Amino acid sequence: MKRYHDIVGDGGSGILEQVAEQRSRITDGLAGVRHLVAVGSGKGGVGKSTLTLHLAGALRARGLRIAILDADFNGPSQARMAGVQGALFVPGSHKVSLPRTKNGIAVFSMGSVIAESEALDFESTASGESHTWRATREFSLLGEILASFEWGALDLLMFDLPPGAERTVQYADFLGPRTSFLLVTIPSEVARGVVARSVAALSKGPNRLLGYVENMSGYYCRDCDAIKPLFVSSDAQGRPADLKIPCLGTVPFDPELARHCDQGFPLADLPNTPVGRALDHVAQQLLDTLEPEPSR
Amino acid sequence: MKFLCVPCDSPMKLQTVGPPDRGSLSIVYSCPECGYEIAMLTNAYETQAVQSLGVRIGPEAPRRSSESEVGSADAGAGCPFASMIPATEDAQRGQVGEPAPVRWTAAAEARLAKVPAFVRPMAKAGIERYARDNGCSEVDEKILEAAREFFGM
Repeated sequence: MKRYHDIVGDGGSGILEQVAEQRSRITDGLAGVRHLVAVGSGKGGVGKSTLTLHLAGALRARGLRIAILDADFNGPSQARMAGVQGALFVPGSHKVSLPRTKNGIAVFSMGSVIAESEALDFESTASGESHTWRATREFSLLGEILASFEWGALDLLMFDLPPGAERTVQYADFLGPRTSFLLVTIPSEVARGVVARSVAALSKGPNRLLGYVENMSGYYCRDCDAIKPLFVSSDAQGRPADLKIPCLGTVPFDPELARHCDQGFPLADLPNTPVGRALDHVAQQLLDTLEPEPSR
Repeated sequence: MKFLCVPCDSPMKLQTVGPPDRGSLSIVYSCPECGYEIAMLTNAYETQAVQSLGVRIGPEAPRRSSESEVGSADAGAGCPFASMIPATEDAQRGQVGEPAPVRWTAAAEARLAKVPAFVRPMAKAGIERYARDNGCSEVDEKILEAAREFFGM
């Protein structure tokens, strides 16, 4: 009797072929992108989205062609921060055009599609069982976005990942080995512990770990013009946990930056501040890590 | 998943897919040798699992993934993504007072079909609003190009 692998095709639908065709469309769509960088953490609330947007802004200011894909479909924040809430998606002759920020960064965010008072929802025939299929559906959606939108020729496509160490690894699997990872932590041992787990998990795969950024590394007091500590960054022996990947820089917390993010103002409005300088330094470190050759 | 006709040792071929019924699909396979037919009846969880892959079930040629949904004959209003689109400004306006209807040329509609189903209603409404704002009652490729330029794309 024939076995599974003796039979070519599945008799009609060509499910595997359809999945392969989806992957091929994604590969084709990203062919013009030089670097794919996923900004993740594992931990939520550490400032992944803020860093993603402002690092993109700092790199854009250097003349690089940048796009951001807000992969946090359930908690998208790039649309508001980048000022593309309610943006229009216009189909071109080949693919769908992406909205851009005032400084020319292309942004896809579900926040452009779904109002903040609404939740992402999928029609389901299996009510109450979303844990069995939801992640698959979300990755299918990510594939559609990658395949359908006009990414074009880019120096850098940045993925703003959702929280969750396991999700971070799932994105690594889905996006493939071309995608490098930049991890974000804060000087809290709890956060560093979660990020350390993400590092451990990602280290088992082929994706390159560019390094990490320590966000909220102190608090910038405008009255004192000084950085004051926010967290005690040490373990029981007084040593910070070693993440075993390079630190690309530290960024202090600045309430003014948070206000800018809420209102969709670019970092260029905060140029000569400690947080602005710190973000610019991290952007340069990221660039040097991605393109160490002097040919740049 | 593949089906084998054991007496003939021959792979069975997909013949028809019935419309979804409370989350269940009826998929008929037949043996090309002896003509024996079987029907695979999925439960809601199985239907959803396949649907989540973004693939199409059926004997016809696969369509683009952005247009495909298990059991949905056409994308758009009836597609599962439609429920993801909140009441947009246009939709709300539509409930209060109907805006002037806007026609789409075949070429413009073909472009619209490239928009993933889940954002298509929003894209359509936004483009029609742009057309109306510019005194046009028809969306053609020139309007689409003008909108791209206007929005800095």
